[in-house]
Amino acid sequence: MTQPQAAQADALLEVHDLAYRYPGAGWALEGVSFALRPGERVAVLGPNGAGKSTLLLHLNGLLLPERGRVLVQGLEVTEHTARRVRAAVGLVFQDADDQLFLPSLLEDVAFGPLNEGRTPAEATALARAALAELGLEAFAERAAHHLSGGERRLAALATVLVMRPRLLVLDEPTGALDARARQRVVHLLQRRSETLLLATHDLEAAAALCERALLIDEHRLVADLPLPTLLADRERLQRHGLLAPL
Amino acid sequence: MGFHHLDRYADAGGPLARLAPAARVLGVVVIALGAALLPPGAWPQMTALLLLVLLLAVLARVPLAVFAARAAAPLALLALASAAVLVLAPGEPLARLGPLALTDAGLQRFTAALGRGAAAVGAGVLLVSTTRFPELVEALRELRLPAAVTAALGLAYRYLYLLTDELERLRRAAASRNARRGSAPRRRLLVALAASAFTRSYARSERVHRAMLARGYTGALASLRPHPLERGSALAVAGLAGVVAGIVAWARL
Repeated sequence: MTQPQAAQADALLEVHDLAYRYPGAGWALEGVSFALRPGERVAVLGPNGAGKSTLLLHLNGLLLPERGRVLVQGLEVTEHTARRVRAAVGLVFQDADDQLFLPSLLEDVAFGPLNEGRTPAEATALARAALAELGLEAFAERAAHHLSGGERRLAALATVLVMRPRLLVLDEPTGALDARARQRVVHLLQRRSETLLLATHDLEAAAALCERALLIDEHRLVADLPLPTLLADRERLQRHGLLAPL
Repeated sequence: MGFHHLDRYADAGGPLARLAPAARVLGVVVIALGAALLPPGAWPQMTALLLLVLLLAVLARVPLAVFAARAAAPLALLALASAAVLVLAPGEPLARLGPLALTDAGLQRFTAALGRGAAAVGAGVLLVSTTRFPELVEALRELRLPAAVTAALGLAYRYLYLLTDELERLRRAAASRNARRGSAPRRRLLVALAASAFTRSYARSERVHRAMLARGYTGALASLRPHPLERGSALAVAGLAGVVAGIVAWARL
């Protein structure tokens, strides 16, 4: 298992001995350590309740460690640095309806640039470009309520891509999508150049997108290895509640 | 139910739609204030004010049948709420309803309340029929309403449909398991559904807040399409205020 050095000069993301407990509950994460280099594409795998989503929420400061440290481009994630960290780490949530909260897609995609201090005209131009990049320009004035599940997922992605993050963090990007929508999301992510960290149960999608896997079970990182190696180890997959793709 | 249900006539065009949304909101305030200032019994002036509202509805190209249908429910509620004054106000009895007497003063106050209500409700219906909800929120922001209120209104608009869908799913889930008929079990079921919908909505609000923070939200929703109250709109509101003030002055001379 990779143990990050104290400060890896080339690391985009470093997680050191991360531990977190939700109020009134047991450990949601315990002693998780790993590092990500720029351009890496990594899948976070594990059964339900293992702590994958909790880990992702730490990466842009939505949760702060109870113990340990998270560093993004060498900057420790704290209450004071969270805003700077969020400019570098784009987090796409599991449920697109959580991410699309404004009356139209255009406003939703422009939300991030406006918060970065862009003028309405600049934010509109950036939002339109991001929507066009994902083939959603025709839906700019539509409300999320009127989109299909796949379109909503892409729109949620657009709300983050518009901010040009260096690290793209996705929580179940293909969850609850039909085959066509899933393929569309996977193809789109394959074309992206950002460093990618995605939490998923969809091993087929993970295999299509990632070369490395972090296996989390019972709130601990139990393996950090090349994804093909993990996928070939059916026994280990089964032991940790996962099924290898057919 | 979709977004277009609420905003069906918002894009009808017409001179009202070209005004800044904040001007339309101020117009409603002007008309409601004018109606409140008319003394009871000022029938010609009340008629003039109601005709002004109807004229605005025609200008806004809102079909009159739709206008009347939308105003009917609030007016019926107003009539119900004001009905007591018919028999409670002291005055010359006009008719007897058992032990109660319908008085001339009561009738005058009732019709005055109805007239005032009709003018204010008509103006309100005109506003929501010509202004999309996001524009309305924007107008309230422009008029310096607290940011927390306008943000809550904007989010409510987006999630209202999600909430109704969620309630419908819960109802179907209950029905698919043969939820018992009858008023008492039905009431219990409704309470359970409402509690479940509340819990889910609360959890969603937490997740939405996180998603907002993740994209740099600091407590103020910046507007992508600001609609400042420009000169033309301000002049239109001033013109309307002048006409309404004229009607009120005519009644008070």
